[in-house]
Amino acid sequence: MVRVTIDQLTRIEGHYRIDTQVNEEGVITEARSSGLMPRGFERFLEKQDPRDAALLTQRICGVCPTSHSIAASNALDQLFGVEDSVPKDALVMRNIHQSLNMMTSHVTHIYVLWAPDLVNPAYRDLLGNYGAVGAAVWKEFLGRYSPISYRIDGVDIPPGEAYIRAIREKRRLHEAISLMGAKMPHSVMAHVGGVTYGATVADIGQLAAYYWKTMDFVEKYTLGGIPPETWLENTHLATSPQKAVSFVLNRLQELTDASLVSNDFSYTAGWGDVPLFAAFGSELLGEETLNLPVSLKFDRSGGYNDPGKIGFLSYGVYYKPELGDGYDPTSPADSRVIPSGFMNGNFEPERFDYTKIFESNTHTFYVDSDADREPFNGSTEPESDPAKIDFETAPEARYSWIKAPNYGGIPCEVGPLSRMLIMGEPLITGLVQLFREKGYPAPNNYLRMLARVQEVLVIGAQFLKWIYEDLDPNGRFAVPTDLSMAKDSRGMGLWEAPRGALGHWITTGPDSKVTLYQAVVASTWNLAPQNSEGIPGPAEQALLGTKISAAENALGVDYTNPLGILHTVRSYDPCLACAIHAMDRTGKHKEWKRVV
Amino acid sequence: MGDIPERFKHLDFMRMDRRTFLKAVGALGASVFLQNYRSEIVKALEFAENRIVWIQGGECTGCSESLLNGGEPDIVQAMQRLNLKITYHELLMEQQGVFVDGILVNTSELNSELYFEEVIEEGGYILVAEGAIANGPDGSGRYCVLGGKTYKEIFRKAAENAAFIVAVGQCAAFSGVNAADSDIRDLLDFRGVAFTLEDETKGILRELGIDKPVINIAGCPPHADWMLLTLAAVVLGKIKIPEDLPGVLDKWKRPKIFFPPDHTIHENCPRRGYYDRGEFDTTVSGEKCLWKLGCKAPYTHADCAIRRWNGYHSLCPQSGSPCISCVSAGFPDSSRPFFQEIEDVGIVGTNLDSIAKVAVGGALLAAGAHAIKRFSEKDAGKEGGEGKEDENGEEGNEKIGKETEESGENEGRNEKTETAPEGKKEG
Repeated sequence: MVRVTIDQLTRIEGHYRIDTQVNEEGVITEARSSGLMPRGFERFLEKQDPRDAALLTQRICGVCPTSHSIAASNALDQLFGVEDSVPKDALVMRNIHQSLNMMTSHVTHIYVLWAPDLVNPAYRDLLGNYGAVGAAVWKEFLGRYSPISYRIDGVDIPPGEAYIRAIREKRRLHEAISLMGAKMPHSVMAHVGGVTYGATVADIGQLAAYYWKTMDFVEKYTLGGIPPETWLENTHLATSPQKAVSFVLNRLQELTDASLVSNDFSYTAGWGDVPLFAAFGSELLGEETLNLPVSLKFDRSGGYNDPGKIGFLSYGVYYKPELGDGYDPTSPADSRVIPSGFMNGNFEPERFDYTKIFESNTHTFYVDSDADREPFNGSTEPESDPAKIDFETAPEARYSWIKAPNYGGIPCEVGPLSRMLIMGEPLITGLVQLFREKGYPAPNNYLRMLARVQEVLVIGAQFLKWIYEDLDPNGRFAVPTDLSMAKDSRGMGLWEAPRGALGHWITTGPDSKVTLYQAVVASTWNLAPQNSEGIPGPAEQALLGTKISAAENALGVDYTNPLGILHTVRSYDPCLACAIHAMDRTGKHKEWKRVV
Repeated sequence: MGDIPERFKHLDFMRMDRRTFLKAVGALGASVFLQNYRSEIVKALEFAENRIVWIQGGECTGCSESLLNGGEPDIVQAMQRLNLKITYHELLMEQQGVFVDGILVNTSELNSELYFEEVIEEGGYILVAEGAIANGPDGSGRYCVLGGKTYKEIFRKAAENAAFIVAVGQCAAFSGVNAADSDIRDLLDFRGVAFTLEDETKGILRELGIDKPVINIAGCPPHADWMLLTLAAVVLGKIKIPEDLPGVLDKWKRPKIFFPPDHTIHENCPRRGYYDRGEFDTTVSGEKCLWKLGCKAPYTHADCAIRRWNGYHSLCPQSGSPCISCVSAGFPDSSRPFFQEIEDVGIVGTNLDSIAKVAVGGALLAAGAHAIKRFSEKDAGKEGGEGKEDENGEEGNEKIGKETEESGENEGRNEKTETAPEGKKEG
């Protein structure tokens, strides 16, 4: 048995470590997921004006600040008792804001954080064994996805074309957000009772312009020449999951037929980033279906071995404008555009029930007497003995600053894949069915990436509807609130960040000041350590059985270049800045010393 | 070039990193090298000052996100045209930290930990620090352990070998939200590089006994221009370190060009007209002045309202949200509660610097408010130049433009009139 440790995983937000045991066949048999630091967010909200939470909690994360500010605003709406009266146009503004953030975050993850793993020299070696096709594909990888700082064999590699374009698109989408939210990261706008800014008639045209420029990029480079509308018409709006899958397969077959002759896998030949990934990332689609000579086999790893120990969860996101003013803070399934819901490990859906959300500290560096706690009764006391904070020698039981959330005792995967499944999105649903039928893991690392891409397009279409049809620039954008309305109250804000389910919980005392603040965050779900029952977190489960080296150990076992770990963990789009934010109320340290 | 081996004949020194360059010098022998590449050497040697090592501690990655939002220049231009070389940045690199049975493996091309050691050993880089440094519990630094080492230790090594340090964002500069008042603040004990909140004795450099020049790029997050243009100014030789720093930086070590001591955001706020007419919003989503909703722009020294954000078009008060003064050393505690009028709260604890008090005082006079005026009256005459600044308060825009063009002259003036002497003698 060999111990392979990634510490730290780079190209993420925050600090993360994965510790694995790998057998002689190069297969992972144990995995531990560790967040490497606490920060203290929720604690410094206590005793303060609750309205500050929207602006302060977004500073948990520089990539999805918008999600935190809206989740906090949802919690504040209920806290102030105005959730029934938040004006429709304020809700539409929050939708617009959130959708732009989600698109930005996904584009950043796909191109800037995830794709640079494709230029790992192991893929040069692998593709080098497959003649002209392999060489052409490697050339595309290197020319498109190299990061800013990279060298192979002493030669500096310039940043990739797609990588640089994606940074510019990210910048453009941030500009669109700042049109309403002033700046990004840490935009303003979401506020208790509504938003601080209502888009003007002029803003609508400008928002559309930003969007269409980014969609030009998506059409030309991401999809390889297919207009986003055409893509959606044939996948998301397909009459059956099978038809959606067929559309993609037919397109890939056309491209493959031409390029296996020409050996041209460039953008101009139609090989956008999605076709290139969809074909060469999958053994089932690439090698088995399209008869490509080689694939990177992302569909062979990242699944779950025991369907009884995993679920898929969405809190629901994007208010439905047609429901008018106000919304239901418990997020029933029919109240949000991407619905709330739960699916068990066998993909059987259930209605979402927020009372099933718990967090456990049994395997964290927090000191806690209770096994599981509901968010309104959260507890986190950081270990204060330095000797006990040791990732190398710490007792098995405690190894992370990430808490372990569960839904009725079950660890859950959250994020685009869960959302698309719960939504019944035809392409992703169809692909999951296909992989299951053919005996492949489902979900897998390949599907998580495709779900992320598909979500960009699905949300994009909604974005257009919100700005063109639903938003009334002359509407109302906030209901007035007064601090006294938050007296002795509590509020829950359920929302979805780009990476998955995000909830904020808040309570106040007689002076309307915060008595408890608690955030249960997307990456906390995905990267959780073992829970109180000893069940590993989703990423830990997905690593079990994963082969450690490139393309399922196709070139043999190389413990020193563990791409299998990287792809699996990165498919969740880990955000440790979010995951380790956690610090909530404890019974201790009640004395408050104002230090000024 | 008869003495040059074939493999060195076609080298382009401008495209070489310093390590390869030094190897080439070593292989050829210095004298041969000098004969053949004299003019290139001068340029190539400059690389020693171009390399940027960017490390991250207690942070949200928002500063790096903001860096990627750079417009003019953008990040690629900065690297290709302004000669910044981002040598190490965990968000932008290929490598990972990889251990097999506890031992670092592979090479620095694939192992970030090995690469980091190489880069640090070489020294002479610009260290950009993002995020606060965890000092707790009990000074152990174990609240942030990366690659088996505390971030406190990583920061120490990186700082010791750096030419100088740029602390980007509130967390690195002042510890920011990490140091916000809470029951566990002292336990976590997050520190900024040269300050922790407003306390210069609590900067981690002093704790570590390291004396290096520091530039603080404040802001949560900082504007991409503030970061990239500061770095560009240094690399282009427009700011010499350390000799120019006392004139260029304010007492919080922030570049005055971006954080002007004689200018506040309020002066160029798009809602300023409402303020002058005494028209105030009392609930959000209106279009009037945000003063009564707690806006801190009247005492916030930053060029936000002139430069504007993300594509140079926006500003927090423009979007109906009060300025929360996220560039002030005491942020967030000095700005909380965000949504209450300053007069209601009182400004004890905000530690307005002298010019800011005058700005607030002057501003309130115009609006007919009184609470904060007391402060300016109380302190009037304490420091030279205040009266003059007050009279000129309305001309902030012109002044900034002038300062940009004639920075030398204005910096001299600012030094004389504004910056207190104790700020110069750190270390």
